[in-house]
Amino acid sequence: MDFVCNFPFFSILISLFSGTICSVLPEKAAKAVNRIVIAAVGVMSGILLLYLLGTGESFVYWMGHFPAPWGNEIRAGILEAGMALFFCIIMYLSMAGGAHKLFDEVEESKHNLYYILINLLLSSLLALVYTNDMFTAYVFVEINTISACGLIMIRQVGRTIEAAVRYMIMSLLGSGLFLFGLCIMYDLTGHLLMSNIKESVALLIQSGEYQIPLIVSVALMCIGLCIKSALFPFHAWLPDAYGYSTVSSAAILSSLVSKGYIFLLIKIIYRVIGFEIFNNTRIIDVLFVFGLLGMIFGSLSAIKENDIRRMIAYSSVAQIGYIYMGFGMGTQAGMVASVFHILSHAATKSLLFIAAIGLTEVSGGSRKFIDLTGAGYRNKWAGVAFTAGSLSMVGVPLFSGFISKLLFAQAAVQVEGKMLAALIVLGISTVLNAIYFMKTVIRIYATTGDTSYPCITFKDMKVHAIVLLFFIVLNIILGVSSQPIVNMIEQGLAMFA
Amino acid sequence: MYLILLPILFPILAGLCLLVYRKEPERKLLTAFTGICLVITGALVVSALTLARQSLTLFYLTRTLPICFRIDEISVLFSLLTVIVFICAGLFAFVYMKHEQKEKRYYGFYLMVFGVLNALCFAGNLITFYLFFELLTLSSLPLVLHTGTKEAIMAGLKYLFYSLCGAYASLFGIYFLYHNCDTLTFTAGGVLQVSPASPEGRFLLLIAFVMILGFGVKAGMFPMHAWLPTAHPAAPAPASAALSAVIVKAGVLALIRVIYYIFGADFLRGSWVQTAWLTLALVTVFMGSMLAYREPVLKKRLAYSTVSQLSYILFGLAVMHPDAFTGGLLHVLAHGFIKGSLFLIAGAIIYTTGKTKVHELRGIGKEMPLTMWCYTIVSLGLIGIPPTGGFVSKWYLAIGGLAGDIGIFRYIGPIVLLISALLTAGYLLPLTIQGFFPGADYDYNTLQKREPARLMTIPILFMTILSVIVGLFPNIITDYLTEFVSTLL
Amino acid sequence: MIICIILLPIIAGILVPLLPFRKRSHKEIFLEGAVILNSILVWYLLLHHSESTFLLAHFTGDLNISFRVDGMSMVFAGLVSGLWPFATLYAFEYMTKEKHENTFFLFYTMTYGVTLGIAFAANLLTMYFFYELLTLVTVPLVMHTLTREAVLASRKYLYYSLGGAAFAFIGLIMVIVYGSTTDFILGGVLDLAKIGDRTNILLLIYVMAFMGFGVKAAVCPFNSWLPQAGVAPTPVTALLHAVAVVKSGAFAIIRLTYYSFGTEFLRGTWAQTTVMVVVMFTIVYGCSRALKETHIKRRLAYSTISNLSYILFGAVLMTPLGLAGAITHLVFHAVMKISSFFCAGAIMHQTDKRYVHELNGLGYKMPCVFGIFTVSALALMGVPGLAGFISKWNLAQAAVDSNNPLAYGGVACLLISALLTAIYMLSIVVRAFFPGRDFDDSAIRDVHDPNWKMLLPLFVFTVFIILFGIHSQPIVDFFYDVAAGSY
Repeated sequence: MDFVCNFPFFSILISLFSGTICSVLPEKAAKAVNRIVIAAVGVMSGILLLYLLGTGESFVYWMGHFPAPWGNEIRAGILEAGMALFFCIIMYLSMAGGAHKLFDEVEESKHNLYYILINLLLSSLLALVYTNDMFTAYVFVEINTISACGLIMIRQVGRTIEAAVRYMIMSLLGSGLFLFGLCIMYDLTGHLLMSNIKESVALLIQSGEYQIPLIVSVALMCIGLCIKSALFPFHAWLPDAYGYSTVSSAAILSSLVSKGYIFLLIKIIYRVIGFEIFNNTRIIDVLFVFGLLGMIFGSLSAIKENDIRRMIAYSSVAQIGYIYMGFGMGTQAGMVASVFHILSHAATKSLLFIAAIGLTEVSGGSRKFIDLTGAGYRNKWAGVAFTAGSLSMVGVPLFSGFISKLLFAQAAVQVEGKMLAALIVLGISTVLNAIYFMKTVIRIYATTGDTSYPCITFKDMKVHAIVLLFFIVLNIILGVSSQPIVNMIEQGLAMFA
Repeated sequence: MYLILLPILFPILAGLCLLVYRKEPERKLLTAFTGICLVITGALVVSALTLARQSLTLFYLTRTLPICFRIDEISVLFSLLTVIVFICAGLFAFVYMKHEQKEKRYYGFYLMVFGVLNALCFAGNLITFYLFFELLTLSSLPLVLHTGTKEAIMAGLKYLFYSLCGAYASLFGIYFLYHNCDTLTFTAGGVLQVSPASPEGRFLLLIAFVMILGFGVKAGMFPMHAWLPTAHPAAPAPASAALSAVIVKAGVLALIRVIYYIFGADFLRGSWVQTAWLTLALVTVFMGSMLAYREPVLKKRLAYSTVSQLSYILFGLAVMHPDAFTGGLLHVLAHGFIKGSLFLIAGAIIYTTGKTKVHELRGIGKEMPLTMWCYTIVSLGLIGIPPTGGFVSKWYLAIGGLAGDIGIFRYIGPIVLLISALLTAGYLLPLTIQGFFPGADYDYNTLQKREPARLMTIPILFMTILSVIVGLFPNIITDYLTEFVSTLL
Repeated sequence: MIICIILLPIIAGILVPLLPFRKRSHKEIFLEGAVILNSILVWYLLLHHSESTFLLAHFTGDLNISFRVDGMSMVFAGLVSGLWPFATLYAFEYMTKEKHENTFFLFYTMTYGVTLGIAFAANLLTMYFFYELLTLVTVPLVMHTLTREAVLASRKYLYYSLGGAAFAFIGLIMVIVYGSTTDFILGGVLDLAKIGDRTNILLLIYVMAFMGFGVKAAVCPFNSWLPQAGVAPTPVTALLHAVAVVKSGAFAIIRLTYYSFGTEFLRGTWAQTTVMVVVMFTIVYGCSRALKETHIKRRLAYSTISNLSYILFGAVLMTPLGLAGAITHLVFHAVMKISSFFCAGAIMHQTDKRYVHELNGLGYKMPCVFGIFTVSALALMGVPGLAGFISKWNLAQAAVDSNNPLAYGGVACLLISALLTAIYMLSIVVRAFFPGRDFDDSAIRDVHDPNWKMLLPLFVFTVFIILFGIHSQPIVDFFYDVAAGSY
């Protein structure tokens, strides 16, 4: 076993402990530690990814050298490593992009707490990505929930507390259901390690026993994770949570936290239940339908919104609908499209949140569209970035959104029964996306008449601008040279099996 | 051979020059120029007529759409009529147009219409014909609009709408004809090789009907006649004369060309299309007369009369019998001269007295005896009393009608023509009677001789004489016609 | 070479706000020079083109961005490159009255490159890419005046265009999945073996894609963006919303129908019937709306809607003749409509009048403009001897030849539309030249024809209208060859 194989474990551990350290460090140092940890984890994930691409095989890492079924395991494949790398990149950029707003939004004394929460969040995300053990997954789901809740609440404004409470309740409901499902599964199979459960499930299916409890268990886990990742109609907590928290939190929450759960679901589908078995249940049809509904209703809510941040938040509901639609197709291609969309959406959504803050900054801090009129001229970088993000969301070629749309559509065509529905909803959803994103883009470029707000030049916002630039580049990379990434996803999914 | 182009291009270019010329030239100069142009054009037409039976293919619009000209008997007939009426009405206008504005524009378009009409007469295939048919509408539109009053503009737009309606209906037909014929060159006896009983044949009958309706618009055929009584009176009198005497004949010419030179009379004879056409023509004959009878305004009355009289011609064409056809062609001439002079007379009356309604014109015969004598003679001609032109043409029409193979219309036709002749008498003669016999209470003291200027009376007189000549010596024309009519039918 | 041609105007456009021009005339020379140079390059390329495909970049899978010159691209690129230098010249004069000149010329020139990209696209994906790009670079032009009206219009334009592209995208997917390649091949690329019994679904998708691309070509019911977009400066309305943008929609539909789905597959199906009915309805609908409209540019925009559907009517006949007719009208209509739009722009520029009823008597004050307008009006009506007649003739012949009874109805629609065209165009002419007997022209005494920069393009277009009308044989023969696939 190479040294590199320790990296997953290291990265989880580093981020977990750095959180603890942050609590005693002065604020500046905490910030530095936070950044360094994220960067380090990112670098490690990158090296790991290269290593895995080199070997072409996934590996299982025994915690404390106890073999299954007793020990706790970590598993790393291309997809895991890639996901971890990507999460780190997004997180780093989001933190950097939102840093200058932190002082306005969060009390001085709470800054340390903020970094702690971020580190915890990172460690829980990494754990969700790497773990091969269902119970460990559950534990980190809870850690994730708590840290996310803290991130929402830390900006102690009336609405955020309400949003945090709502988020807490919904999330706990979700994790509760997940726990139920897990219990039943344990009852049926007697295992907690994913690979072991999978063998037992396969035997159960063959024997034809306990079919209904099995389905119930799977359904409960699915619903639990759906609630947590805000699939329509469980999205009520989302707009407030994303809309009123700090910028970095919003960007991270929307692009990473919900994606962590979705990634866990993918792991469950492949590693716990088995792709084939999962596809034979009716659950995928339900996911498909709710995915489609989410795509439409999320966008419709976004159209009605007149607050830019809440609009972007609602758009997440629609985008998560896309991802679940991909699951619902029940094909490898659909899954690839979904995973790609996880990346593409994460890159785009955080870009939008960070750009939106740039726009609201030059509009007297107001997030209402009426005040944003002409903001694109006052803050050119944010304007361009927001436009780029919007175009990506609408699915204009060159940007990542186009590729995910392309992949979804291509996947849809292979599924006879669901093809038309998927394609038409894809079309409608694009129209709706165009309506609210383009409305905003036109709004921010509408007129230069009102000059009561100050303009911001590049000098005043170097970091912000560079972050935005990175995000745009990331989007375009995903959009232009998508083929290697798609190949990697395919390989990664193949390793799951 | 290119001589054939001269009578077309010369007036059009002359007209364009007038229009493009920026300043309003001195009146004398303008009339002199126009007069010379008219006369030269007339001479050119006559010299071009020597080229009969030769054809000139000018160029191709697309690979299969040639623009070509050819002169045959029909061309001769129509172009002579055009030349005479246009020169007469042109001379008349030199005096009449004094009280209108923008004379330059009027003469410009007048010359252009002249050229276009010549082209229409000389057109050698349907595409060329259609080209000039549309141009005719467009170039004559300014003549209707000329006075610039609200009514004139509305009338002009109405004219445009109806004419284009008709033109496009015909174009619809042309599209299909082109598809079914090898060529659209005018050939006596038709170029269509399809039997009317075949499926395409049945469809083409429908197309024929659409084209009859379409070109019938220009000839004021019911149900698309409404533009005529609106547009003709709105134009200045010399323009009305040209419109009523010649321009509407373009519709007749079109129908002759399409039915006898493209479809072929045999294709339509005995079909429902012929029946429908006859019915429409007769309805128009009767209706036009009735409406004219009820109309108090002189120029409008004459316009309704035109509606009615044109359908005499159409009836002659629809019967598809040599005699009726000859009658129709004779009536083209007779009606051309008669209606031309009637409108000029109406213009003369308006010019001198300013009165437009028939009942205001008591005693007009005492004031303008020469004019009113002419009026009386041509009226009698239009009614069909020998020895005027109208008599001969109607005679032929009736004979043809009776001899034609048209079922019950053999009897209905001549009867309707007779009734309409009575009505014609009813609407034309009251003016004569009132004019010469104003009644006992007429105040002869206020009477003054107001004979119009010589430039106005001479054209009137000339056309009156011509209409009588047509009646007195019809043989010249009929001999000329019968020979080629036999090739058509 | 092709890349060069596409990039040159884009770069030139970007340079406009960056370069420090000392005088306005320098900027004009720079822009006009760039545009003319590019047009020359385009024509050089068209005359010396090779069959080979130029591959720019790989996308996912076997999808790629590549360019090629074939018959259709020659037509479209030739048309666009012929018109652009004149339109730019016109724009210099027109824009003297507008603000934000640099932004305007930036996007105006960029659009040239993007449009050429559509023309030279070798496969559906490349075309789709430039198609979306076209929407994006033209939005700022619609929004140019930044008035509330302009903002609303550009919003609508974006919604419609992007939404339409979304449905066209589905068609793209179908071609990717069920076609043997996405390259444009006359006759279609669908692989019947792959389709199996999914014919109806594919037809449905075709209809959706047709309507999707149809949004740009202003097919009813997706046409309301076009008249609204008339708030843009006239060079934009004239060149983009009468030629480049809307014709791209028609061009895309032709590509989709003839080069991707293939006429063999579509002819005689319910899909053909459906789109033909839609197109026929649009022909009449556009004209009737034009009749009601009193704003000159909006009236012309409605006229464009109707005329675009002429092109589509030719396209949906799905015969080589139909394609030839469509191409003919595509080119001829461009010249006619740009001419009439430029006249409308000249009127607005010289007099600030924008409603039909304000035009009384202007014909004598601006004889050149109104004379040219009359010619274009007559051409649009389809008077023989002018360009419109030829294109309508070709369309009608194709329709008659197709032996499709519905197409006969289409011929009738063409003629009804011609009639309505006559009324709404000539009523303007009549007003201008026959203002009424007692018209008082003191209010418009100082009005006169614009200067040569505006008149030169107008004269050139008029010459072409007449030339195409009288001697169209060479160019129409070329169109027929293109439709038959000889290029």
